Amino acid sequence: MKTVIETKNLVKVYNGGVAPVKAVNNVNIKFNEGEFTAIVGPSGSGKTTFLNLIGGLDKPTDGEIFIENVDISKLKERKLFDFRLKNIGFVFQSYNLIPVLTAKENVSFIMLLQKMKSNEMNKRAEELLQAVGLGDKMDVRPSKLSGGQQQRVAVARALASKPKFILADEPTANLDTQSALNLLDIMARLNKEENITLLFSTHDQRVIDRARRVVTLIDGAVSEDVNK
Amino acid sequence: MKTLLVLAWRNLWRKKKRTLITVSSVMFAAILTIALMSIVSGMKQQMIESIVSNTTGHIQIQDVLYDDEPSIDYALELSPEVMQLLEQHENCIAYTVPRIQNFCLASKDIGTRGVLVTGIKPEKENKMNNVSSRITQGRMFNDNDNYAVVAEGVANQLELELGDTIVLLGNGFQGMIAASKYKVGGIVRFPMPEQNNSMVYLPLAEAQWLFAAPDRVTNLIIMAEEHVDIDMLSADLQSSLDDEWFTVYTWEELLPDAIAAFEVRNAQVKMMAWILYAVVGFGILGTIITMVFERMKEFGILLSIGLKRIKLAAICMLETLLMSFLGVLAGIAIGYPLMYSLYKNPIPLKDDLADVMIDMGIEPVFAFSVAPEIFLQQGLTVFFIAVAIGLYPVVKVLRLDMVKASRK
Ligand SMILES: Nc1ncnc2c1ncn2[C@@H]1O[C@H](COP(=O)(O)OP(=O)(O)OP(=O)(O)O)[C@@H](O)[C@H]1O
Ligand SMILES: [Mg+2]
Repeated sequence: MKTVIETKNLVKVYNGGVAPVKAVNNVNIKFNEGEFTAIVGPSGSGKTTFLNLIGGLDKPTDGEIFIENVDISKLKERKLFDFRLKNIGFVFQSYNLIPVLTAKENVSFIMLLQKMKSNEMNKRAEELLQAVGLGDKMDVRPSKLSGGQQQRVAVARALASKPKFILADEPTANLDTQSALNLLDIMARLNKEENITLLFSTHDQRVIDRARRVVTLIDGAVSEDVNK
Repeated sequence: MKTLLVLAWRNLWRKKKRTLITVSSVMFAAILTIALMSIVSGMKQQMIESIVSNTTGHIQIQDVLYDDEPSIDYALELSPEVMQLLEQHENCIAYTVPRIQNFCLASKDIGTRGVLVTGIKPEKENKMNNVSSRITQGRMFNDNDNYAVVAEGVANQLELELGDTIVLLGNGFQGMIAASKYKVGGIVRFPMPEQNNSMVYLPLAEAQWLFAAPDRVTNLIIMAEEHVDIDMLSADLQSSLDDEWFTVYTWEELLPDAIAAFEVRNAQVKMMAWILYAVVGFGILGTIITMVFERMKEFGILLSIGLKRIKLAAICMLETLLMSFLGVLAGIAIGYPLMYSLYKNPIPLKDDLADVMIDMGIEPVFAFSVAPEIFLQQGLTVFFIAVAIGLYPVVKVLRLDMVKASRK
C-alpha cells in the first residue's frame, strides 16, 4: 500500500513558557493511502501540534516529514504555500469558513486560488456540497448555517482541491452529538467511496469508533497505535 | 483580483456600523480640511484682489532706480519700444494703467501740507479700482479737464470746498520746478487713512505738464487677463526690456510685507489642518487596529487553507482603500456644494476684523474659494493618510504567525 505521510524522529519543542515543552517527542509514524485515522490523547498531549507539523503549518524542531516523497520540513515558505494548497485539505475546530462568502463560494475559494476554470469549479463545488448533504444550502452564508453544517462545508472545501489527504483538528469539538456523528459518517463515507486519506484529532469518545485506526499520543509521543 | 475586491467589499459590510463610522470620519476630515483651505484661499484671494486693484495692480513697469528712490527723476518714458512690447502681449494683458506720482506741497491760504499728486487716466483707473465711485462731492475729471480731485482727508485739513483753488509746489523732472494752481472739482473718500490723507488726482496729461515730464510715467500698471500666470508674464516682459532701464515687478515683489503676512497665516492654518489630520488619523487607526485584532484568527485560517500572504494583505489594503475612497468621495460630494453655496452667499463678518477689512477696502465677509485644487489636494491628502494607516494591517498580515493566530 502507498505511504502518503511518513515522519522520522519528529520533534517539536516550544520555548515559550517557564521550561521548554516537548509538544511532539520523537514520533516515527506512517499513514497509508485511504486510511481513516483518529489522533487521540488528553489535552496538551500534542495532537494539534502534530497535525500542524504534518500539514506544513508549523516547522519541526527536529526530524523529517515526507508527504509522498517530498520532505516538507525543508521547503521554503512560498513553496510550502503552494504545496499545501495543492496537496492538503484542512478542517479546523471553529471559524473555518470565510464569513462573507456563501457555502458554494467558500468551497470554490480554494479552486479559485488554484486558478481552476469557473464552470469546472462550479460543477465541483455543487457536487461536493451535495456529497456532504448541503445541496439546498449552496447560497447561504456561514452565519445562517448550524455548526454541523458549517463543518460539512469545511469538509467539502477541504476536498475541493483534490488533496492527497485531509487534516481535521477536533472538527466535532463544537458540535452536538448528532451533528458530530453525522459529520464523521460523511467523512467515513468519503473515505470509503473516494479513497481519500483522512486524519482527525479528537478527545471525543463518541466519534473515535468511526475511525479505522486510532493513534494515541501522550506527552507528545505515540503510546498506542491500533488498527481495527 | 476580482475575487480579492469582492472579498474586501463584502468584508466592509460585515461590520456596517464600524465601516460607516470610519467612512464618515474620513468624510468629515475631508469636509473640514476642505472648508479650512477654502476659506483661507478665499480670504487670500479676496485680499489679493483688493490689494491688487487698490494699490499695485498685477504687474508694474518702473525705471530701474525708481523702487529705491521713488523720485520723479526716475519717471520712465513710454517709448515706442515699450508700447510695442505691450501690444505684442495683447492677449495676456487686459489693460494698462499709467500713473505719474510725486510728492508736493499743497496749500490754500496759509494752510500747507504734503500730498501725493497722482496723474491718472480716469477711464483706466476706473477699470482697475473704480475710483469715481468713491467721489462724495463734485465729479471725476476727463482726460482734457484741468481741475483736481482731492481726497477727503486732504480737503478737511486744508478746509477745501468744491470750487476752491489749491496751489501745488514741488520738484519736476530733472530739476525743473513744478508749480501750478488748480480748482478742486471733486472730493473722493478712501477707506484707507494713508490714501485718504494724501491723495490729489490730476488728469495724466496735466500732471505730466506740471512735472515737466511729457510722455513719462512713474508707474505703468499692467492688469493681466484672468488665468494668466503673473510671474510668467512678468518674466516675459522683463526679458524683452532693457534691464539697464526698466524693471518689471509683480505685485508680490512690490508688497513683500503682505506676502510675509500671508505666509504666516498660511502656516498657522496648515498647522490646524495637520492637527485635524492627526485626530482623524488616530481615530481611523483605532478602528483598524481593533479590526485586525478581531480578525487574527480568521487571517490565520485563510493563510492555512492556502491564501497567499500577499493576497491577504491586498484584501486588507483594498478594504482601507475602499473606505477612504468612499469617505473622500462623500467628503467632496458634500464639501463642494457647501463651499459653493458659501462662495455664492458669503457669511458677513461683524467684529473688529470687519472694521479692519473695511479700512483696507475689503468687503467684510468670509470669502470661500471653490478652486478645484483645494478639493483635489485635500481629498488626496486625506486619502493618503488613510492609506498610510492601511499599511498597519498589511504589515500585520505579512508578519502573522499562522499557527499562533489560528490557535487563538
Ligand atoms: N505556541 C506555543 N507556545 C508554547 N507552547 C505551546 C504552544 N502551542 C502549544 N504549546 C504546548 O504544547 C503542548 C501541546 O499542545 P497541543 O495544542 O498540541 O495539544 P493538544 O493535544 O492539541 O491539546 P488540546 O486537546 O487541548 O487541543 C502543550 O503543552 C501546549 O501548552
Ligand atoms: Mg488541540
